[in-house]
Order: sequence, then structure tokens, then C-alpha cells
Amino acid sequence: MTLPRFQYNEPASLAEACQMIRAFGEKAALLAGGTDLLVKMRNRERQPQEIVSLAELEEMTQISAAGGRHAIGACCTVSQIAASMEVKSTFPALASGAEHLGSPAVRNIGTIGGNIVTASPSADLPPALVAYGAEVRLKSEDQERFLPLEELFRGPGDTCIKKDEILADLRLESPPEVSGAGFFKLGNRRALQISIVNGACYFALNPGSGEIEKARVVLGAVAPTLVRAVSAESLLVGEKPGKGLFQEAGRAAALDCSPIDDLRGSAAYRRDMIQVLTCRTLQTALDEIRNH
Amino acid sequence: MKKKIQMSINRRTCEVEVETHWTLLDMLRNELGLLGTKRGCEKGDCGACTVLVNGKPVNACLYLAVRANGKEILTVEGLETDEGLHPVQKAFLKKGAVQCGFCTGGMLLTAVSLLDKNSSPTEEEVRSAISGNLCRCTGYQYIVDAVMFAAERKNQGVA
Repeated sequence: MTLPRFQYNEPASLAEACQMIRAFGEKAALLAGGTDLLVKMRNRERQPQEIVSLAELEEMTQISAAGGRHAIGACCTVSQIAASMEVKSTFPALASGAEHLGSPAVRNIGTIGGNIVTASPSADLPPALVAYGAEVRLKSEDQERFLPLEELFRGPGDTCIKKDEILADLRLESPPEVSGAGFFKLGNRRALQISIVNGACYFALNPGSGEIEKARVVLGAVAPTLVRAVSAESLLVGEKPGKGLFQEAGRAAALDCSPIDDLRGSAAYRRDMIQVLTCRTLQTALDEIRNH
Repeated sequence: MKKKIQMSINRRTCEVEVETHWTLLDMLRNELGLLGTKRGCEKGDCGACTVLVNGKPVNACLYLAVRANGKEILTVEGLETDEGLHPVQKAFLKKGAVQCGFCTGGMLLTAVSLLDKNSSPTEEEVRSAISGNLCRCTGYQYIVDAVMFAAERKNQGVA
């Protein structure tokens, strides 16, 4: 079936795109990769009259770093993230999430911004981004604001981005020297699979004592939005990393989430997998520290 | 809304007036008659519509035609040259990697793109590269064999 008709607008800059969406209001939709929007339009779930295309805006497809602060443009494709030396060396769990998203052809079109604003509870990039403490920059015609990524999501398909705002880029700080992270994804096959569960773990050690100073355990596809496993995190902090501790944290994480039964898996299975995969991924994070 | 775009399709410069709501797949099949690019699931799940845009595989069903402006598009029709079939096409024939043929165009282009950037892939890398191209006939083994065979021949300098 063909797509519904629309007017196609190609702004020359992010600033012009902000003006356009304010002027078009409810009639507008932003196009980045289109892997989600075009499918919804084909199903007539969305019928925007004005498409504002960000896809070819070079200023939104940059990955840059200065003084330990990194910015990833919202229109960077998923394969660009997976292949970036900077991302692979500084944020390996994010690169891992990118490698596991969709299929190679989808990764060549889909963008990191699209993966976020779609706000699917099972999206593959947000867990690692939240684990690394990412912030988003939201730009409107006359303002910009920063927000921790985890505060962006309100429910499936729902974010607190205002109608006249565009997700411009993601901001991350280089993790401290003695830290590590990992990503996990469970699906029925290894490509084109919506996650049964996914997640990411991050922790940083006190270089003197070797105790965990900061921990983030982020779980996906087990609640209406991604969730922080707060009791697992508080259990980790102040302890020395090791297998026994990770197993305990896995059990705590399984109780921190609220999965449902659906066609991809039962709630009980999801909880069991969260326990096992959180434990394993904490080990991945520790391996990263040891291999440094 | 119509828009005139210019691009290279199978190494030839083309100017096409497209409707902005057309996908690249709509343009290739309906406007240009390039029927080798198949219309499958139309949501990026099957890979039957895979074409190369600037050398990278993309799902033509998820890519607006207007975005092709200024780009290089390669479809399965462009694989054959004056020298005959593309070495990867020859390998598919040799290894019996084609049954019904619906996935073949996308498979070939994905394989060509893989071998362009990695001339000696492992079997695992081949399987991962074609993971977005579904085949319901072959069970994939002969396709993987064909891509490995094409890589081997390329490295030996035989077409």
C-alpha cells in the first residue's frame, strides 16, 4: 500500500526545522530515518500533512568530543554509532546495543534520535545511554533545554518532548577511568527481533578501595518505560565487585521490574531472564575494567 | 506534491519527477520498471526490497524516493556488466543458492556490499550480514556457501 500524501519540507538547518514545526503545529511530523514513521503512515496510524525532514541535515549527524564531553547528533544512523571508534572505545555498551538493533539495512537508515523518541519500552539504544548517564538536548525555535534521558519517557510511545521541540543531540561524559558497562538483549533470533528483555549495567570503582562507587542498572521491555533497578543499584554500591554480589544484584533486579505476559514471553520468564542477564552483564562490566 | 530529483541508478545519471509520498521502492518498480527489487512486507522485516544507496544496503520500502536525490543507487539489474554476470551472481548459480528467487536480489546486493568492505568474511560474518534478508526456501546454507565461494574466488583473482 502506498503512503498517504503529504507536503515534504527540507529545512536547511536545525533552526529552520524548529521554525517549521512551530508553524505547522499538529499537521507536522519529523522524519529522521523513517523506519518507524513510514510504517505507521502506511498503516494509516499517522497521517501528517507536513513532513519536516531532518534526515539529510549534516549538523545532526555528527559525533563529537571535547574535553571528555561527547555529543551524538540525533540523526546519526544506528550503523554509524555501531561503527564509530569513539563510541566503541568510550561507550562499548552503546555500540553493543547498536549492533543488536534490527537488521543491517534497518541500521543503515534508522537513527539514534528515532530510537529514542519512538519511546518503545523495548528499544535497544536507551538502556546503555541511561546506564552511561546520557542527557538529551531539546531545541525549539527560541529555547533549548537539557534533560536526563531517563526522565524523557512517560509511557509506551509517550515522551515529554513538547510539540515545538526537536531532540537535537545526546550528551555524555566520558566514564571515569575505573569503570565498565555492558548491554544485554534477549530475542528469539539475533536479528529483526523486538527484545523479550534487554538492559544495560554500568558501575565505577573507587580507585583506592576497589569498592563500587556508582552503579546504574537499566532494564528494558519489563515495564511501560525502561526502569532503573534501584534496589540492585543500592546493593552494589559500597561493595567489592564479584560473582556472589552480582548474583544478589540479579535477584534484586528481577524484583525491581514489572513485566507482563505477551506474545514474546511470559512475565515469569522475563523476570528469570532479568535475573540471569543482569548478573552476567555486571560481569561483562567487570571484565571491561580488568581488561583496561 | 511532485519534486524533480537527480541521482545515479545502476551507474547511469537519471532525472525523475517523483511524488514526495513515493518510497524508493515505488519509484523503482512503478516509475522505472525495475522489477528486480521486490515488494515484500513493506515494513523493513523481510529485506526483499534491499538496494544499495551509496554502497550500503537499505530497505527501499522505508526510504522516501526524494531522499535518493544526489545519491548512487544500485539495484539487482545493475549487477551485470558488459563482462557478464557479477561474480556473486555466478557464485549463487554455481552453488544453487536460488530457489523461488524472491529474496535473491536483496541477498545478492547485501552480499556484494559485504564483500566490498570485507573481502574475507567468516561464515558468522556472512550470516550476520544477511540476517535482515529472509529466505523461506533454501534454509540459507547454500546462500552462505555461495557468498563464501565468491569471496574465495575474488581473493584468488578469478571472477
